[in-house]
Amino acid sequence: MNELGLLFTIPSLTALLSLFIKKTAITGKLCALAAWLQLALVISVLLPILTGHSTSISFAPGLIVDKLGSYFILLTTFVVACALTHADYFFQAQAVIGEPYKDSRLKLFYAVVNIFLMAMTSVFLCDSLGYLWIAIEATTLSSAPLVYFERNKHALEATWKYLIVCSVGIAFALLGTVFIFAASQRSDLGSGTLNVSELIVSAKTLSFPLLRLGFIFCLLGYGTKAGIFPLHSWLPDAHSEAPAPASAMLSGSLLNCALFGIWKASTVITAAKPEAPAFHLVAVMGALTVVAASIFIIRQHNLKRLWAYSSIENVGLMVFAIGLGSGPLFFLQALNHSLAKVSLFLISGNIVQAAGTKKLSKLHGLLENSPFWAGALALASLAVAGAPPFGSFMTEMSLLTLSLGHKYYILAALINVALAVSFLGILAHTGKVIFGAGKPDFKVFSERRAALVPMLLVASTLAIGLLVNYESR
Amino acid sequence: MQLSTFEALAMLSAVLGILILGTTLLRTNLSFYRFHTLAIVALTVWIGHITKEAHLYIVAAAVLLVKVLFIPSFLGWVMKKAEVGSDKQAFIAAPLSMHLGAIMLGVSYLLSSRIPGLEGVHQEGSHLGSTAAMSILFTGVLLMLTRRAALSQILGFLVIENGIYLFAVTQTHGMPMLVEMGLLLEVLVGVMISGLLLFNIKKSFEHIDVSQLTDLKD
Repeated sequence: MNELGLLFTIPSLTALLSLFIKKTAITGKLCALAAWLQLALVISVLLPILTGHSTSISFAPGLIVDKLGSYFILLTTFVVACALTHADYFFQAQAVIGEPYKDSRLKLFYAVVNIFLMAMTSVFLCDSLGYLWIAIEATTLSSAPLVYFERNKHALEATWKYLIVCSVGIAFALLGTVFIFAASQRSDLGSGTLNVSELIVSAKTLSFPLLRLGFIFCLLGYGTKAGIFPLHSWLPDAHSEAPAPASAMLSGSLLNCALFGIWKASTVITAAKPEAPAFHLVAVMGALTVVAASIFIIRQHNLKRLWAYSSIENVGLMVFAIGLGSGPLFFLQALNHSLAKVSLFLISGNIVQAAGTKKLSKLHGLLENSPFWAGALALASLAVAGAPPFGSFMTEMSLLTLSLGHKYYILAALINVALAVSFLGILAHTGKVIFGAGKPDFKVFSERRAALVPMLLVASTLAIGLLVNYESR
Repeated sequence: MQLSTFEALAMLSAVLGILILGTTLLRTNLSFYRFHTLAIVALTVWIGHITKEAHLYIVAAAVLLVKVLFIPSFLGWVMKKAEVGSDKQAFIAAPLSMHLGAIMLGVSYLLSSRIPGLEGVHQEGSHLGSTAAMSILFTGVLLMLTRRAALSQILGFLVIENGIYLFAVTQTHGMPMLVEMGLLLEVLVGVMISGLLLFNIKKSFEHIDVSQLTDLKD
């Protein structure tokens, strides 16, 4: 219990402080610092798992963190720390080159980000499917103010859609959770349980029809939140209307939370019946999502929506990895996607801010305006698109190899084609942004500092691609 | 056909839910939602009585407080402040959607006896608990699909949530109490956030017709 409280101390204190500190310039630096401190704290709490001394830590009944969960907590905290570090720059730049945001709005932003971080951290601590549902719904509610940050009509529309579509989607995941609980009450477990660790042990005795029904509802519900096709409609709106640091967090950490929900539910059904037809649905939906997203990527007109659709594509790949039952590949795909996509959203935020438009048709000549940013954008988009030797390429390769072992020949072929299509699409779009005549009214503020965090992230995904030994997975 | 108290209360909640579909006057909708949830509270108390599970009484009290007393009053206040009275241009006329709701009740009855594993745990061989829950789910979905006003969307979500809650109390021996309480808290916070958003929609667009929010697309 003590350690559990410790994990939430820094964000909750920072959230409170952000509301009271008058100067938002100080709040920005404080929040970034607090997030890095939180990362150090998380590492120290989870150290027994990370070093391999134990496989899981139990904090309380229903709250157990395992290896996969602890890696995800690290990733989430890292993403938030990077986004907050960049946010400090982002809001300063906005004050210099554009219209500065009101102090009250920034205060709320920083407070909400800290609450959002707590909600996301708790998702990965949950062993109970009920707590998991509560934590995931809490991430929706706490991120809605981030989407509404701009306070204009478009932001309002995006927030409304986000809140309603995700809440209803997640409500169906709750229905699935109820069914799984009902399944556990018609088994050896007697009074029933929602704890995944106990469900897995007596999985074979659970009432299978109810479990299957529950799993399908969980898949659809959490899938809505993760943005799988055709339930993705809210995602591009929310990701493109939120300010760049918030988009980065939505894409780099929030999507992982919902996917983790699907993963938890899928571990129960695979323990009950390894070859259940309902479970094949996961891989099929993943592949479908990749294909659909690649088509949307080709016909994009908006820089941030382009990256949102690329996130949907990566979600498809992660769902596919879950469908193959491979936890390590699911995490590696999430890791590489998060690093590269956060970098992309941050650097695109700078570009959009400097150029004053998100429209792809009006963005051109970045190489002339700011060679440094052009380089960062090119590297980050190569990393996201999955060019070798970046981490995504290695994961996608392993994913496709593994899928052949599972005899998913058609799905593997479809994904292959879709990946190639989206690769070309992304390169064509970024090529247009980078090359051509420079824009005369492009306002660059503190060029080097702006590219610091994005470059760091791209370098780390490159390092993962080069250093991690994929053969052993 | 003789209905037991359990079955009668379950059906009452389903029928009161369907009545929400019968009018586009938002205030009446809220009142029906209040009565519909009250029937669910009564059912929870009754199940607590027959199964002797004391924690169901606490859950019932919390639901009464949050969903019967607070949420309809809060939404009523939002309505008054935002000056909206009715959901004039529903996609399907109110009487028609109410009849659709009644048909869905029949469909739920057929479905709940077909889908294996849905017999209630409290009543041997009775499907009426899951029939009511499923019918309430369909009612909520119909509300969300056929209405345009932002407030009806919130109400639709609340009705769907009630349906799921009813599944939980009729199909299981009560969800763990911490989960139930967390859930209520989420619903409460969700309704308050969407209520605030509704104000802003009214202020920026001068209407609350969410079907007109279509600026964002590819």
